[in-house]
Amino acid sequence: MSRRPESVFLGAIPPALVLCAWGVSVLTDYDVVADVDPSRAGLGPSPALPFGTDHMGRDVFWRTVTASEAFVGPALVACAVALAIAVPLGALAGYSGGTTARAVRYLFDVVASVPRFVLVLLACMIYGSDPLVLATAAGASYAPGLGQAVYARLEALRGAEFVLAARAHGLSDARILGRHLLWVNCRRLVGRHLLYLFGFFLILETTLSYIGGFGIEEPQPSWGNMLAFEFGQHGMNPLATLVPAAAIWLTVLGTVIVADALAEPGDV
Amino acid sequence: MSEAIETTRNLARDRAVSSLAIQIGFRAGWFALTLLGAAFLVEVLLWASPGDPIDLLPNGEDLRPLLEREWGLDLPLAARFLRFVGRALQGDLGTSLTVHPGTPVRELVVDAWIRSMGLLVPSLLASLATALALAWWTAGTPSKLRGLVQVVSVAPVFLFAYLLVVGINDATFALLEGGYIDRPDWFALPDQPSWVRTALAIAAMAIGSGCLTELHAGSENELVQIRTSGFIDAVRARGGPAAPHVLPNLVAPLATLAAGRVGFLVGGLVVVEKVLLLNGAGALMWDACLKRDYPLAMGLAIAAAAIVALANLVGDLVRFSVDPRLRRRP
Repeated sequence: MSRRPESVFLGAIPPALVLCAWGVSVLTDYDVVADVDPSRAGLGPSPALPFGTDHMGRDVFWRTVTASEAFVGPALVACAVALAIAVPLGALAGYSGGTTARAVRYLFDVVASVPRFVLVLLACMIYGSDPLVLATAAGASYAPGLGQAVYARLEALRGAEFVLAARAHGLSDARILGRHLLWVNCRRLVGRHLLYLFGFFLILETTLSYIGGFGIEEPQPSWGNMLAFEFGQHGMNPLATLVPAAAIWLTVLGTVIVADALAEPGDV
Repeated sequence: MSEAIETTRNLARDRAVSSLAIQIGFRAGWFALTLLGAAFLVEVLLWASPGDPIDLLPNGEDLRPLLEREWGLDLPLAARFLRFVGRALQGDLGTSLTVHPGTPVRELVVDAWIRSMGLLVPSLLASLATALALAWWTAGTPSKLRGLVQVVSVAPVFLFAYLLVVGINDATFALLEGGYIDRPDWFALPDQPSWVRTALAIAAMAIGSGCLTELHAGSENELVQIRTSGFIDAVRARGGPAAPHVLPNLVAPLATLAAGRVGFLVGGLVVVEKVLLLNGAGALMWDACLKRDYPLAMGLAIAAAAIVALANLVGDLVRFSVDPRLRRRP
């Protein structure tokens, strides 16, 4: 989907803000427990409290900023896991073809047949709902999608003239595969998939934290558990609900817009 | 002469039928292999787990030798897997440990999935119908609607369900307090079933987490390809309506697109059933994982994999049955 530069610029703003919030949150220490102050419960916005307070009197702005820690780091781990599994396997299958390709595609099909969310839940049940487990499971469950895409791209390019020319020049397979095929022809594809994975991980983490049981537990903030915490609080500060909801929505939207902008002509 | 034509025609038909049979056999075999692989994957995850299900039982340590033999925990991975497959083929998936102690997993899984199909199938059909209707209108034109569909559809399923519930709750409370309406009968307590919640669940799944925008973009792409192809130009040149020629050509790509969404919808099912307090396979999966009910979670996960693989099989069969070009090469 081709996009106008200005909408891509607008789309890049929420993810950029999230990365800034993550940096700020890692560098400062906001005490999630000491912030409770029932005397200022449900206050509206003011200069000192830009988004007001929730129904336990906690600062919604700082909780929103701190909640970025719940997913940014693990999402990057998930991207690394998906990259480490999918790209070598996809490249191997696409470049060699034949039985290897069939075996790798079977492996991808098997993992992809278990729905991502179900696979992540199973992993959380067995290994505990640690952010690292969540990240690894999310990355592994996303790997078939990325691997299939890399496979399909390399399968199409394997017999291309520039590959034959490189081989005729005596370049090694590793150089053709690593530089000419993966770096030059697949980096945008892989980048796009990693951005989708980032968005998927945000959805996953906020969903698990919203429902509760897995994911981030109170008093540690996540945009998901902030929403759950304010549910049913009539007449309280509406920003305590609207800010995390908008943060989730805009961050996923922005990530998808930037990812779509990386699509190349001919991509669906 | 006509006899020769008839023979050729019969031959061609027979060849097409036998190649369709080969394709169906090939796909069905792939389906069975994928399912076996998925069962093996789940078995490997369990095998590599730090504890075992016996740790979770109140009197587990007393029963350990008996249960280890019963569940095959002392066997190596391959033997455990073969045992599981052998029992599963006889319809025995074990008994639930903690969620419904003592109840056969098969009964729970079948019951829950039958209930959940009432959400899964309508949401897939609703999403497909909406996407196609929108795509029919927007395909090949610079339309603002495309951006709007993406902006709305990108919201996670749980956020959709949450905002719908909060919006409807607050609006109804406001109307009740103002004395404009009496308490409506659909305004049920959380523990009672309500058609409103079912409808909200179907809507949230059909739109949220990118479902609508994926199907919309896919349908648009196919529509543009079909509408710009030579045979549609020929139909237009003859002055006939294009729609009766466009629609049959859409069936095959739409079947593939829809089959590809089933896995995501199963994930959405877990979410909406928990958020909207519905009773089905998704909510049961969540509870089984939370209470570490290994046999039940495993049964539900394999059933989910079977449904995804079955959807792909059905999608492939639909493609093969409507598109004769695919039948040439087995």
